[in-house]
Amino acid sequence: MKAEFSSYLNGIAPGLARLIALLDDFDYASVLAADSVGFAVRVGQKNMSVENRTMTTERGAVLRLAKDGLYTEYAFNRFDPEKPEETAAAARKAREGQLAVLAAAGAGIYETGILPDEPWTIDAAFDTEETPEGTDQASLLASLKQISDEGMTLSENLVDVRLAAQTTHISKLFLTKNRNLRQTYVYSEAVVLPIASKDGKMVMAYESLSGRVGPELFRGLSGKVAAAVKTTEELLGSDSIEPGEYDIIASPDIAGLIAHEAFGHGVEMDMFVKGRALGADYIGKRVGSDLVTMHEGALCATNVTTYAFDDEGTPAGDVVEIDRGILKTGICDALSALRLGTVPTGNGKRENFEHKVYTRMTNTIFDSGESTLEEMIASISFGYLLEGSQSGMEDPKHWGIQCIVERGYEIRDGKLTGKVVAPVVMTGYVPDLLGSISMLSRDRGVFGSGGCGKGYKEWVKVADGGPYLKAKARLG
Amino acid sequence: MNEMLLELLRTHATDGWEVTDVETEGWEFYFIGHKLDQSRTRSTRHTTVCVYKKSEDGACLGKAGGEIAPTATRGEAEEMIQKLLFQASLVKNPYYELVQPAEAAAPAPDGEIPSPAEIAADFLAVMRNLPETETEDINSYEIFANNKKRHFMNSEGVDVSSSYPSSMIEVVVNARKDGEEIELYRNYTSGSCGAKELAESLSRTLAMGRDRLLARPTPVSGKLPVVFSTDAAVALYRYFISRLSTGMIYQQISDWTAGKDVMEGALGDRFTVRSARDLPNSSANAAFDGEGAPIRDETFLKDGVVRANFGPRQFSWYLGQRDTFLPGNFVVSGGTKSAAELREGTCLEAVEFSDFQVDPVTGDIAGELRLGYLRENGACRIVSGGSVSGNMREALKEMRASGEARQYDCYSIPAVTRIEGLTVTGAV
Repeated sequence: MKAEFSSYLNGIAPGLARLIALLDDFDYASVLAADSVGFAVRVGQKNMSVENRTMTTERGAVLRLAKDGLYTEYAFNRFDPEKPEETAAAARKAREGQLAVLAAAGAGIYETGILPDEPWTIDAAFDTEETPEGTDQASLLASLKQISDEGMTLSENLVDVRLAAQTTHISKLFLTKNRNLRQTYVYSEAVVLPIASKDGKMVMAYESLSGRVGPELFRGLSGKVAAAVKTTEELLGSDSIEPGEYDIIASPDIAGLIAHEAFGHGVEMDMFVKGRALGADYIGKRVGSDLVTMHEGALCATNVTTYAFDDEGTPAGDVVEIDRGILKTGICDALSALRLGTVPTGNGKRENFEHKVYTRMTNTIFDSGESTLEEMIASISFGYLLEGSQSGMEDPKHWGIQCIVERGYEIRDGKLTGKVVAPVVMTGYVPDLLGSISMLSRDRGVFGSGGCGKGYKEWVKVADGGPYLKAKARLG
Repeated sequence: MNEMLLELLRTHATDGWEVTDVETEGWEFYFIGHKLDQSRTRSTRHTTVCVYKKSEDGACLGKAGGEIAPTATRGEAEEMIQKLLFQASLVKNPYYELVQPAEAAAPAPDGEIPSPAEIAADFLAVMRNLPETETEDINSYEIFANNKKRHFMNSEGVDVSSSYPSSMIEVVVNARKDGEEIELYRNYTSGSCGAKELAESLSRTLAMGRDRLLARPTPVSGKLPVVFSTDAAVALYRYFISRLSTGMIYQQISDWTAGKDVMEGALGDRFTVRSARDLPNSSANAAFDGEGAPIRDETFLKDGVVRANFGPRQFSWYLGQRDTFLPGNFVVSGGTKSAAELREGTCLEAVEFSDFQVDPVTGDIAGELRLGYLRENGACRIVSGGSVSGNMREALKEMRASGEARQYDCYSIPAVTRIEGLTVTGAV
């Protein structure tokens, strides 16, 4: 079935259109309104919880206004559709107050052109089998508890088997004088987190699921428990890695982490505007081996951040960032595109209506290759197969990369030895890392169970992935 | 508070409820260099409701929470409360009591709360008067100045409110030499601006930028003493704080219960951890926590031995620690050395990481090094690249700190901390 667009947004849409009309003296005026609902349930041996809130639930709106080269925004969530003039007056007053403080401080303006406003109407409703609103939560909680209970029987070292499942029904409305855009879709994500302890050592593993699907996704959780518990046993028996440079095979989730940190953040073009990204100087130049092709865009995979238009009313895209090792382009929000003289790519995203738009990732994915995992393992005399993405950090200015990896499986003489090292900190220089990629597997995975910050804030949903890839990396 | 909502809560068959109402007036300025990129204002209200429902035998208490939008109609609010009641009936956690009025703090008198405009103006003044040069300057910055009003009520009669400022500034500093340019990133949270501390810290950062230009790839790999003298050290002490939480203890992640010597056999300093209701210009200064429990100064870890725990009402109740709360500010002390002593001998002083992390469950330590000072044989080299890793269980065996303290928003910690035997992975 199709996800159903918010009746609340339908109800206030005429009032928001009047609000835009009341601000016609501005060079540009748009409003983004969101009404996204969902829930998150958490179940373990010691506690359970239900919250009608996820990372992306929200109800509110934000006005974007431009005048004399300056863009200002006003975020609000007490809109009366019968009295749009009150909101218009409040937005004007807020802008004037800020301009007075700026003038007193002697601050200049980074002048920016006027955003285009060609007519476009879309009413996108994406398919979903179930919705958050229609979920049988009693059955869901019971099934998650049963999975946790059964998981606890798999190892005597387990302290807990926790499960988390969350689902969100997104509805967004974007209006300008000439645009009337609506979209609605459901995405869901779930994770199983076993925690184990032995001889004072405590470890935690995870297996996750995600997709632009409804809560039917959660039925796949039971099939993930055994693998996650097995990982805790491996982690309990793991050693520290001897620091050094190694041949590595990055599993699809680690490949995704590399894609995200290396050339996801590295080519967010709002960073080009600020001179904060080396990528700006490398367009058309080699940044990886011939095997490296990378896509970014809401349309290059179907996962948690696959939408019809972004938070600035730009159509979703699919950008080839790296083509056979050559950096082709970056991703761009609409204001940065104006400043750089390029076109926006549908990557203008907000944490929610209260936050500013930045250039943000959607799906960031390496293309697949021609090898098998077995061939890749057989090609390594001493190295590690890395699995379990924990976290990463970008460094677009210097092309450093930090990836914290849950575990590494030792490979010697072309075979897995059974020895596990954990955790593993992978660092390096991005072009060196991508330049060393020498094999890619035929299959690939896409993962969307995490969030992404810009620096240390502005959290949004993203997905990333790729095939198994063989490279050289520094591990510690 | 929304009277319609309170009436609905009182007339539905809940076994308890909590309402938290937060109104925010926020100003934001985004600069590229010193030119205004965008300005933003926020005027929002968020009302969060938790509904509780007992099991028939009274042994269990379920809770479900959600937000009721300020634009919600009576019908929408009632529908949400009925949904929460149903969801709470599905949640089977052992029974516990909500915070009672007798325990709750009298509302703290609101001092002079600066407006977002005043806070933003203070930030602007600091940023325009930094000691920038042709080779070290500000790339960009983002100012967030908020004024918040929080009102908490529960079914037991707790009714407390407060007004407070909450601010943040993100600053990117550039330094350049011979065609090479580097950046350093800073993110400061605070109550209001804290102009003096911000100016001092950013001046130090500008100087640090010069050093980063001189840095060479970290040459060593192996075990080394590592000295922490910047905000990365907060992550080390957050590990202590998380281990003391009743939530971690009840769920068997931590065994830091009263009487335990968590530094038994350790060769280093014995640390003390306490809560502080107020720290200068902290963004977490508050008279009561998120469940209406009064916040006070209390010592949880004294010279390495656990005296008490803290945490959310639910888990604290289960552990029999019914007079506790969730602090906003923490003070860690116990260092016995001077900063100079901690820098003696061979060591890596790590001052800049890409993202330094300490896992509260496993204790794993990890971070890519962006700037460090490697001291060996009386010489000091400026280094960059590679990583620092280890585990807090091992680190506690030989961890020393300075008696001098430094405050990072809601954490006051030793200004300098040294851990023996962390793994340093070089960049060559």
